[in-house]
Amino acid sequence: MFSRRKFLKAGCLGSIIFISNGCSVFSATTPKETLSLLQEDLFPHSKSMGIDTQKYMQIILKHTRVSDEDKKFIKNGIKWLNEEAVLLYDQTYVKLSPAKRQEVLKTISKTNWGAGFIRDNLIYIMEASFSDPVYGVSDGQGWEWLDFKTGLPQPKEAYV
Amino acid sequence: MIYDICIIGSGAGGSPIAYELSNAGFNVVVLEKGKYYKEEDFSKDELAVSRRDKFTPDLKDEKHIINEISEDGSVKRYDGYEYSWNFWNGSMVGGSSNLMSGYFHRLKPNDFKLKSVYGEIDGANVEDWPIDYDDLEPFYEKVERVVGVSGKIKKHKFLEPRSTKEFPYVKLEENGVTNWFDKACDSLGYESFATPRAVLPNDTLNRKGCSYSNFCGSFGCATGAKGSARAALLQKCDAKIITEAFVYRLDSDKTKVTKAYYYDKNKKSHTIEAKIFVLAAQAIESSRLLLNSANKHFPNGLANSNKQVGKNLIFSAGGSGEGRFDFNDLDKKQQVELMQRGLFFNRSLQNDYEFEIEGKKYKGGTTDFLFEHQNLIPRVSREFYNNSGDIIWGDQLKDKIHKAITSTRKLTFEVFNDWLPTDKCFVSIDKEKDMYGVNVGAINLHGHPHDLKVGEHLAQKAVKILEEMGAHDINYSISSSPPPNLVAGGCRFGDDPKTCVLDKNCKTHELNNLYVTDASFMPTGGSVPYTWTIYANSFRVAEIIKKELS
Repeated sequence: MFSRRKFLKAGCLGSIIFISNGCSVFSATTPKETLSLLQEDLFPHSKSMGIDTQKYMQIILKHTRVSDEDKKFIKNGIKWLNEEAVLLYDQTYVKLSPAKRQEVLKTISKTNWGAGFIRDNLIYIMEASFSDPVYGVSDGQGWEWLDFKTGLPQPKEAYV
Repeated sequence: MIYDICIIGSGAGGSPIAYELSNAGFNVVVLEKGKYYKEEDFSKDELAVSRRDKFTPDLKDEKHIINEISEDGSVKRYDGYEYSWNFWNGSMVGGSSNLMSGYFHRLKPNDFKLKSVYGEIDGANVEDWPIDYDDLEPFYEKVERVVGVSGKIKKHKFLEPRSTKEFPYVKLEENGVTNWFDKACDSLGYESFATPRAVLPNDTLNRKGCSYSNFCGSFGCATGAKGSARAALLQKCDAKIITEAFVYRLDSDKTKVTKAYYYDKNKKSHTIEAKIFVLAAQAIESSRLLLNSANKHFPNGLANSNKQVGKNLIFSAGGSGEGRFDFNDLDKKQQVELMQRGLFFNRSLQNDYEFEIEGKKYKGGTTDFLFEHQNLIPRVSREFYNNSGDIIWGDQLKDKIHKAITSTRKLTFEVFNDWLPTDKCFVSIDKEKDMYGVNVGAINLHGHPHDLKVGEHLAQKAVKILEEMGAHDINYSISSSPPPNLVAGGCRFGDDPKTCVLDKNCKTHELNNLYVTDASFMPTGGSVPYTWTIYANSFRVAEIIKKELS
């Protein structure tokens, strides 16, 4: 389904990625700032509840039980998202207005990789939002929002 | 040192042997590839258990190859790691019984003679069992007492014969919605009953009763109420358990197994010698080990001169479905009942365990009903799409999630019917190797079209109940997709050494000190989850081994 996962590579979240406009290098950005803004655009309620989704993404990117393919897809997706933003508006994603960012998301959601990338990010946001406080990402605000009572006993340590 | 018995695998197939033989004074060693987790190690951490698969091997290190075989014989190959297709069920002391939901049903007398009662089916290798229900009944009863099965007997058309009137442990507390369900069944003329569960409602057997934590299936039980092989048996005997011991080879001479070889967590090899070896590593891995243990006496693999090891692999056929109840359709009392936490739903239907169409008798099955699993991530993830199937986000998604979780609840059902054994569904060995350098198992998959017809028939009955109850968004899926936790066959038992790997005592026809006691022995699986039958058969074989050693 996500054929582009297999043959493109990108650096880690802190490093610079180079965005192409189709024929030459157009701009550079860091994946971290794109990912942070993207996740806020996808589910702003998590930030408003005080959930630290970016801290959770650091856990995911280091987790031994998250496959290399999935990690690579996060990084590649950020690059492709920016390429789409440049293609549509001649600006990287973080430099666009909220309305234009939504248009970029609508555009990529019509593609296989884009729908998969949005879905994966929503999953990570939900994992962060409904994680046990032992992970240091949420204090249970997500559970409270949905009137959810977690099972007992709760974990004594995070599985990372 | 030479042990009396060496058991490979500590789940429901191996543990009754360890329990019975060590309590009878024999020297028993159990080799388990996973770690030893106890009650105090278990929590309801959805991320660790359900999202990151804490209790199963990393597919990067240990995987299966899956060959999907179509009706026309074409094969599509899947790498289990690449496709995240996981057939591991719980590598830990007690095996996957730690993580089961404990929906316990006995087989029915006719399940032991499917071929005789219902006749042959084209393309399927249906055979009668070499034992009958009466041979196993005392051991079903023993499992009720020793492992702990709770429930309430209700007479119905297909209630199996029992040597006792009632379960030894009273049924678990139930959610009020069960009354809506019973009423719907009554009006449709269906006979529903409370699902027997391998869960203790109260403190007994030196174990704590259920804490009604709202998270049972998929999670280890922190009270010991769930009848896992570890809590119920291994912690009640002094069999020696060697953990993180991956058995990669059995050595033999012409007539008996001589040694088991295993790698420890540092990949250092060790050997164990014993008078009797019992293999119970779950159906796929047990066949894999026998096939990987070929030697000059058994060039096709141990006990495989007839080339039957790995053959006639079966799963539980059927599928699942669901319907949604919405606050908008309910009064205040009903809304409260719908959202009651912790209490079990526990309803089963075996109305069509056998049914007739145009005068022909068919083997049907069981449908278990339960609330949607409480894990939040899959529940909210199912709201990611709108009615057109497009992905949504932002406030639209927020509102959809909030409504779904706080003012609706799904009742789900699971259909269990026979997965007919065929020539196209079997275990073999692939050229790919795992992290130990051992060839991985290949799962060759094929579902017989008959399985789908039966599953469809049962699902339609379940849908009628949900409709009668007033559920919305009812849907179901019956498919040939194999449930990895409901696997059996591969070393079927029977009297004919030419066609069967095991004799009726689950001893290999060719090696006089090798038994296989996980679900591998089953020629057909019945139309229920297997665990109760695996436990019962293992207790039966324990009696046989005890006599042999005495």
